[in-house]
Amino acid sequence: MSNLKTNPIVRILRSPSRTALAWVGMIVLISLVREFTGVNDITSAGAMEATIRFTIPILMAALGGLWAERSGIINIGLEGFMIFGTWFGAWFGFLFGPWIGLLSALLAGGIIALLHAFLTVRIGIDQAVSGLAINLLAAGSARYLAGVFFTGRPNGSIQVSPPINSISQFTVHGLSPFLSHIAEKHILIISDVAGILAGIVTGVNWVSLMLFLLLPFSAWILWHTKYGLRMRFCGENPVAAESLGINVYRTRFIAVCVSGAIAALGGAYLAIVSTGNYLEGQTNGRGYIGLAAVIFGNWQPSGILAGSFLFGLTDALRVRQSTSVHALLILVVVLTAAYGLTKIKKKDWKGLITNFVISGLVLAYFLINSRVPDEFVTFFPYLTTLIVLAFLSQRLRPPAMAGAPYHKGEESGV
Amino acid sequence: MSKVIELKDIEKKYPGVVANHGVNVSVEKGTIHAIIGENGAGKSTLMKILYGMVKPDSGTISINGEVAKIKSPQDAIALGVGMVHQHFMLADNASVLENIILGSEPTNFGAVIDFKKAKEKILSIVDNYGLQIDPDATLGDLGVGVRQRVEIAKVLYRGAQILILDEPTAVLVPQEVEDLFKNLKELTRNGLTIIFISHKLDEVLNIADEITVMRQGTTVTRVLPKDTNKKQLAEYMIGGALPTPRPADTKPLPEKVLEMKNVFWNDRTGREVLHDVNLDIHAGEIVGLAGVEGNGQSELVELIMGLVKPASGFVSTVGLDTAKNTTRKIRDNGTGYIPQDRQRDGLLMSASLWENRILGHQETEPMSKGLWLNKKAAQNDSQRIVKEFDVRTPSISVHASALSGGNQQKFIVGREMSSEAKMIIAAQPTRGVDVGAQAIIWDHLIEARLKGAGVLLVSADLDELFQLSDRIAVIFSGQIVGFLDPRNTTPEELGLAMTGANK
Repeated sequence: MSNLKTNPIVRILRSPSRTALAWVGMIVLISLVREFTGVNDITSAGAMEATIRFTIPILMAALGGLWAERSGIINIGLEGFMIFGTWFGAWFGFLFGPWIGLLSALLAGGIIALLHAFLTVRIGIDQAVSGLAINLLAAGSARYLAGVFFTGRPNGSIQVSPPINSISQFTVHGLSPFLSHIAEKHILIISDVAGILAGIVTGVNWVSLMLFLLLPFSAWILWHTKYGLRMRFCGENPVAAESLGINVYRTRFIAVCVSGAIAALGGAYLAIVSTGNYLEGQTNGRGYIGLAAVIFGNWQPSGILAGSFLFGLTDALRVRQSTSVHALLILVVVLTAAYGLTKIKKKDWKGLITNFVISGLVLAYFLINSRVPDEFVTFFPYLTTLIVLAFLSQRLRPPAMAGAPYHKGEESGV
Repeated sequence: MSKVIELKDIEKKYPGVVANHGVNVSVEKGTIHAIIGENGAGKSTLMKILYGMVKPDSGTISINGEVAKIKSPQDAIALGVGMVHQHFMLADNASVLENIILGSEPTNFGAVIDFKKAKEKILSIVDNYGLQIDPDATLGDLGVGVRQRVEIAKVLYRGAQILILDEPTAVLVPQEVEDLFKNLKELTRNGLTIIFISHKLDEVLNIADEITVMRQGTTVTRVLPKDTNKKQLAEYMIGGALPTPRPADTKPLPEKVLEMKNVFWNDRTGREVLHDVNLDIHAGEIVGLAGVEGNGQSELVELIMGLVKPASGFVSTVGLDTAKNTTRKIRDNGTGYIPQDRQRDGLLMSASLWENRILGHQETEPMSKGLWLNKKAAQNDSQRIVKEFDVRTPSISVHASALSGGNQQKFIVGREMSSEAKMIIAAQPTRGVDVGAQAIIWDHLIEARLKGAGVLLVSADLDELFQLSDRIAVIFSGQIVGFLDPRNTTPEELGLAMTGANK
């Protein structure tokens, strides 16, 4: 346990001021990279807008994961709930407008999650198996339902839904053009911050804002209300919770339903906001990435925001410019070298050399090539996930009883 | 004095077992009342009945003179009865405060936790009873003794007037036991009543105002500590005289079953855990390893079993260099291992007893025949263990988790001795088991020694070390600081050596 406290990442994620410091440090670093490589798109308003658009669905999946896992149920089915979200959001969005679409996805996700909850909480079957079943069920039913409902509609087919009316956006007048103006000047750090802020205040989507606010709202529920406290104990020690009169079954049921509903909202966002219609397979593994963001974020709200943002950023860069990814290789060079330097203190010479070698290799690649292959760019978010989890997995503090079935009346959950 | 609790003719049957019958207990206000008995004597069932976790088939419970219907722990709490469980009901990943208020949170608007009020209330409890806990600490960072205080605070926070402590000292080291007893005295001075379940006779005689003895599901007698002694209590508990033989002195054989030469070992963070350890055990002798926990005993045992490899130095177990052989090979070569944490390392809790019999012997005759496991042999041998070691179980096909701790331990000891082991490592073999089971385990260890096995007895129980050992090695901060002869050493001298005073 004690080594958890010494882990820098965990320590940073636990303290708000350090979290802020880490963000600032990242911005300065990215700004330097932009200056050095001349790839201005990295911190442009457009890139930031795209990042937000890609972050929100992952954040919703991650938030769904947080709710479920904090209550003790692992929800591999997040991807499935997102798929259901895309279909319900698109169909009801097409019929009654985008807001009703979102609401329908929310309800559908919550109701379908009852199935996962029933299987895992009441029957106690393996949570991964139930989650996978949800994913298969979702992929199959979405295709079937799309075939029944979308074909024959304007622009609709088994793979594509008819278009959904778009949701109104707003721009913070005065601030947006001003910030964009500064961003155009490409002054070190100042322009970068301006670009990022401009991306945040320009063409703000009401849905993005509302869904984002679910994060602080969930954090408040989980850490400041009695329901949240009880829910977290169901994930940490259900036997203890039951011994104090808490209905573990009911608490976990509710948490799993909320989890499914939020993940489905993420799916509906993809259909309604990102593309404006349902596309088969458009969730593209974001449910799993969301799950990874939960682990990356050490089951803490601030952490899962950082994780979702990181994965959203790599996703966004992929669709914008592969030169950005190439430029960000410098970031990898700097970060691995810096991480290597921290090994000096521990006298871990092997670690130091390993990190320097990796850093050097990436640098060499950066200098030799002017761009990275498209295949790599597509693969980048997944690679990031893999690397991050490989580094972090030993040092995290997950809910102690997440994944373990609980049967009422049994002495011990072990 | 008034009676706060009166239990009359409580009876509880489970399929195949009568857990409680004819149980009568009455407890005076402001006293510490001990309930003692062997594992499986029905103490825990009785306490679960009192706390509403189990419903009795018949009998009455009166609290403060009124007949009470206790259907759930919530009913019990409402009547002022609180339980401090043996296995702590706490979450590592939460703060002390969160652990205490869970389920009875003070709130604003009916939902938002009022942390300030919660903290004030906890601090007032802490002050009143001298409990010494920090509400803001993360539970995972705390030691066992503090965790137990958190459990006690949790019960007091709910306004309990009667505290049930289920084997509270099982997990504590001597210093922590003293602290706990101080806390308990403080509580009774404040008018609270304590029911103290235990099978440790010394402690009971030390702390209790009154003692009720249980045997085979029923209460057999009620005595005052001043009118009795350890021997008599033990006889009440097991219903007969207690055999505690000090083994006849025999000469160990020349053959060495364990050799450790200049062994060093560091943990993952580079901290030196074992420093220049030299230890030989000959066939036919029991060597006790005494030391305060955490001075390198566990690591030493893991080295002998080949679970970890020495940083430098040489370890050989029954002639095998452990650095070059797998644990599998070491076991097959005749080394038995009774692990310290029986539930984690010794058994599969949700597998049947006969399946557990196979564990560790799954590749040798008679537990396996060629590619296949020999179910018949496993079942037959499990029956033998159950009989020879007096394992109290309805059958050999129940899950290991259905047995009480002492019976689980007897089964493990039986398994580890089944293959005529030449070397036996017994790590805390009788921790948490009752005197009856202890006697059986001791008998078998002595018998193994007579048959020519070497035994390494790692124990925190000084009595056990003196009763069984031919020699006692003392380990302190990773070094063997000396060897003592139990025949002319006093417990005080051993205690001093364990704290490194000789250095």
